[in-house]
Amino acid sequence: MNQCYSCTTCKSADKPLQEFIAGLPMETSHHRVESQSTKCAFGLQGVCCRLCANGPCRITPESPRGICGANADTIVVRNLLRAVASGSGCYIHVVENTALNVRNTARTKGQIKGVNTLNRLADLFGIQEEDVHRRAEAVADAVLRDLYLPEYEKMALTEKLAYKPRYDKWKELGLLPGGAKSEVFHGVVKCSTNLNSDPVNMLLDCLKLGISTGIYGLVLTNLLNDVVLGEPQIRFAPVGLRVIDPDYINIMITGHQHSMFTFLQNRLTDEDVKEKARKAGAKGFKLVGCTCVGQDLQLRGAHYTEIFDGHAGNNYTSEAILATGGIDAVISEFNCTLPGIEPICDQLMIRQICIDNVAKKANAQLKEFSFDNRQSVTEEIIDEILDAYKARRGKVSMNLMKDHGNSQTLTGVSETSLKQFLGGTWQPLIDLIVSGDIKGVAGVVGCSNLTAGGHDVLTVDLVKELIARDIIVLTAGCSSGGIENCGLMTKEAAALAGPKLRAVCEKLGIPPVLNFGPCLAIGRLEIVATELAEALHVDLPQLPLVLSAAQWLEEQALADGCYGLALGLPLHLGLPPFVTGSKTAVQVLTQDMKTLTGGQVIINGDAKESADILEQLICEKRQGLHI
Amino acid sequence: MKYVIIGAGVAGIEAAKTIRQQDASGDIVMISQDTFVHSRCMLHKYISGERDEKGLDFTERDFFDKYRVHWKKSTRVTNVFPDKKEILLDNGQTIAYDKLLLAGGADSFIPPVGQLRQASNVYGLRNLPDAQAIVKEAQWAENVLVIGSGLVGLDAAYGLLERGKKLTVVEMADRILPMQLDARAAMAYQERFEKAGARFVLQRKASQAVCQPDGRIHQVILDDGEAIPCDLIIVAAGVRSSLACLEGSGIACERGVTVDASLKTSAADVYAAGDITALSGIWPNAADQGRIAGKNMCGIAAAYIDTYAMKNTINFFGLVTLCVGRVKEEEGDLVCIREDQNQYKKILLKDGRVEGILFQGNIANAGIWQYLIKNKIDVRGIKKEVFDINYGDFYHVGDRGKYEWVIESL
Amino acid sequence: MKRIIVEYEKCDGCKNCSAACMQAHRKTAGTIYDLDLTDPENESRNVILKDAKGQYKPLFCRHCDEPECVKSCMSGALYKDPESGHVFYDETRCGSCFMCVMNCPFGVLKPDTVTKTKVIKCDFCVNAGGEPSCVASCPKKAIHVEEVQA
Repeated sequence: MNQCYSCTTCKSADKPLQEFIAGLPMETSHHRVESQSTKCAFGLQGVCCRLCANGPCRITPESPRGICGANADTIVVRNLLRAVASGSGCYIHVVENTALNVRNTARTKGQIKGVNTLNRLADLFGIQEEDVHRRAEAVADAVLRDLYLPEYEKMALTEKLAYKPRYDKWKELGLLPGGAKSEVFHGVVKCSTNLNSDPVNMLLDCLKLGISTGIYGLVLTNLLNDVVLGEPQIRFAPVGLRVIDPDYINIMITGHQHSMFTFLQNRLTDEDVKEKARKAGAKGFKLVGCTCVGQDLQLRGAHYTEIFDGHAGNNYTSEAILATGGIDAVISEFNCTLPGIEPICDQLMIRQICIDNVAKKANAQLKEFSFDNRQSVTEEIIDEILDAYKARRGKVSMNLMKDHGNSQTLTGVSETSLKQFLGGTWQPLIDLIVSGDIKGVAGVVGCSNLTAGGHDVLTVDLVKELIARDIIVLTAGCSSGGIENCGLMTKEAAALAGPKLRAVCEKLGIPPVLNFGPCLAIGRLEIVATELAEALHVDLPQLPLVLSAAQWLEEQALADGCYGLALGLPLHLGLPPFVTGSKTAVQVLTQDMKTLTGGQVIINGDAKESADILEQLICEKRQGLHI
Repeated sequence: MKYVIIGAGVAGIEAAKTIRQQDASGDIVMISQDTFVHSRCMLHKYISGERDEKGLDFTERDFFDKYRVHWKKSTRVTNVFPDKKEILLDNGQTIAYDKLLLAGGADSFIPPVGQLRQASNVYGLRNLPDAQAIVKEAQWAENVLVIGSGLVGLDAAYGLLERGKKLTVVEMADRILPMQLDARAAMAYQERFEKAGARFVLQRKASQAVCQPDGRIHQVILDDGEAIPCDLIIVAAGVRSSLACLEGSGIACERGVTVDASLKTSAADVYAAGDITALSGIWPNAADQGRIAGKNMCGIAAAYIDTYAMKNTINFFGLVTLCVGRVKEEEGDLVCIREDQNQYKKILLKDGRVEGILFQGNIANAGIWQYLIKNKIDVRGIKKEVFDINYGDFYHVGDRGKYEWVIESL
Repeated sequence: MKRIIVEYEKCDGCKNCSAACMQAHRKTAGTIYDLDLTDPENESRNVILKDAKGQYKPLFCRHCDEPECVKSCMSGALYKDPESGHVFYDETRCGSCFMCVMNCPFGVLKPDTVTKTKVIKCDFCVNAGGEPSCVASCPKKAIHVEEVQA
């Protein structure tokens, strides 16, 4: 018998990672897929309701209604609205904190690293302030003001940020959101016990929540981050477990709120802190990227190469990252911070610190970060981590994967850096699309899950199918983390693309898959799409553009998805979002949505089939544009 | 060893199969008047046109080849000679036996009312030739009369109604299916039959039936004087065991052939099973008797113990009924009724034991009631509404995963 | 022969077995996701009973050694397969008499809800390779298949 925890790990698209995890002496999420593989049929369909003490009720032929009288449609869509409201809440929490951090940075005359972005926003919002700090504060205030509006007051920035044809469509459908936090509140109330039972009414609310999530959570968060953290710059960087250098004190970060690390990032490169590290026996500190905040770090990595070596992996790679033994502490501020890391951190003496109590782990220390206490909290955190480093090194064995991942993944892609790369205009891209050298654009975004074929399996297979059809892929989210670790974002990956796309990539020296960073960057993709649509004088549904959240995981993904639908885009999912038990929900999401917003949901768990469907849709849209 | 079986009903067929499974080499000869093996429970579907002759066959495909049974069909046995261990056929042939099974069933009983027994347009509904004749006559018959509204009478009525015939059913009791159902349950069927074109005359009996010169009865007069014109008359007044071939054989008979617990008759090496024994008139019991007699004929001791016969299922026009045990209410009964738009259920309890059940409309999972009734199980210890009692209240997984009944004492 | 062995103490009454059975016997093609859970034509061959104390007692066809249903069948529709030992039901031969329902001592059988012309009978998922879907779907492993001596 060997040391392996068990032999039942799920597949991963990342074969070296799969082997590594299979050989681990501790349990990870990959080990737990098998024993949880018997899924409740009622849960899968979304027809289980636990909203009241008379429940749980479920729909069967003998009991087609819950005790209260709710039918399958009501139960399913209530469950969906609850999830979308929750998911929206997550993103709004993130943008709120980000805006607060920007405002506080501005008020304390901190460094404004992304002046260009600030100016863009100020122009857009109609803010005229000479002083850069006052400008930043005004921008942040405008965002916060909107977030805090009551439900009955429509958010002012929606019109300024949204593409006009889309805005008009949303207005027509009555989907313009009130205050983002109030909308979440409204959603949660609406789907509570014995309140709303109108499935279409609730589905429309999902779209509304999608809009507020998208404009604020997914567009503005990135731009606000750019203001205080600097704009993304295109570069090639290493990814995967190889980035963990045991000579340093390594801190793995998880979450979505890059702006919370601004101070810490800088502090860790101060000479006195570096000296503390040296005294402890390390060369210094390093931040190891994981989950979306890791993607954000990677995106802006050009600005702090000293403190950041690379993005190690996505959410379901986090346990493996820790299992290398090379991580000394985890700082979490949001998701995905798997509960499963707790026993691993215990076993490997990895200190867990949580800086936002929404992501408090059971055995983590809560060191709540607030702008006011940032200095003292940061000192405490640094001392804790030094302590952990000293306590654990030598006692815990290293199990590093020095060859995992690759060293030349393209990163730093944003709506501005990409346009810059193309010469300051989208015309080259438009030309390539019109000529057919790029058949279309697919946004393969969102999460990583373990059940749609395995860890990143559907995602990576789908990407390969799409690029083989000359469809360029843009990614954002944990999907990026999986795809890049499989080498699809290196220049060499062009070999896997179809002949036309390959030629484009080789000519430009880019991979066929472009990483925009965290799932928040779905908003950046939308900006690109909007600018392309503007240039072509069409609305978004006319673009040869499709979205896939192939391995969507959680509620935020569902809110994202609703944004995609509100934008009028085809949205592919590998697994249904627990809605198939309702004929109405399926009808609205997959069919009626086309006439509503122009979007549609496509559910398919097979990579080839999905690629066929998406390619077909792209071709139809090309036909519509006569190209 | 030579086994001879008279009759190709379920008793004879099951006996043949059982014997072959025990004795691979013996000769098995089956003699039947039947030309087609047919399920007598499905004759109504033949009359209605839903099935043809082959569709009535209840045996496995190639039964006779598979079990190596030599079948002499369309042949009647005229005599049995237990001393010589021989039987005589209507074609003059003699067949010797080592073991003989009497499974020749029963014949329709036509009561001696008027000239019912003489008329050429009066039929019972016992076997396929009856059904075939009825179908033929029904082609041009305008007025059909069915005497008796028991299961067989209603089978005939159903079949003919499905052929679009209008008919009258005469019944002595105050309700149809009087042996199985109460007034409420009976009315549910009566309404359906009436909707299909039947007219019921209850609490009446046929009193005069005179043949015309053409040998046919053209009208039957009831005991209240009503004259019912008829071209075709079906009498469903019960059956009598077919004992004719046993005359002079010395084999003891009462209503049917007398048998002991191993289904042996008074004659050595002669057994009897099915309706010819008159032990019970229902299919599952005849099948059981056939199997048990077959075992005994092979020298394997087997006893016919589960003789419970007070059980019936009824299914006409989409309405299903199950009745087990005593359905007629008596003094001292606790009568429990559960009724809604989909079902009518009645349970009779006495001293905590289920005397009988009548379930109409919904008989799902109702097999447990037969067990409860025939084993006289006291259900007072079960803290449930009696209608909610299910096997879960007696549940036990025993050896090799078999379910067993466990009765908790009070 | 193979029989589904029930350990009722492990049963939670989640009814995933019933859903899986409906899925295995549905008329139209599809996955568990689009199984119409409101269609009364979808029927499970198993049922989770409750005793007086509310304890779940899973009722699954035993494919008995001496099947009362087969013994009482007047049409030849029910038969015990000599090779597998399982009791199969040929809907095309059934005469809808329901004597099998009457005779099953455990009350496993029932007429179909919609037409009341046929019997809902476990076929040990013979058309799916003989691996019962119910067994695969039980999250508590309260049911499993064992080879029992015939």
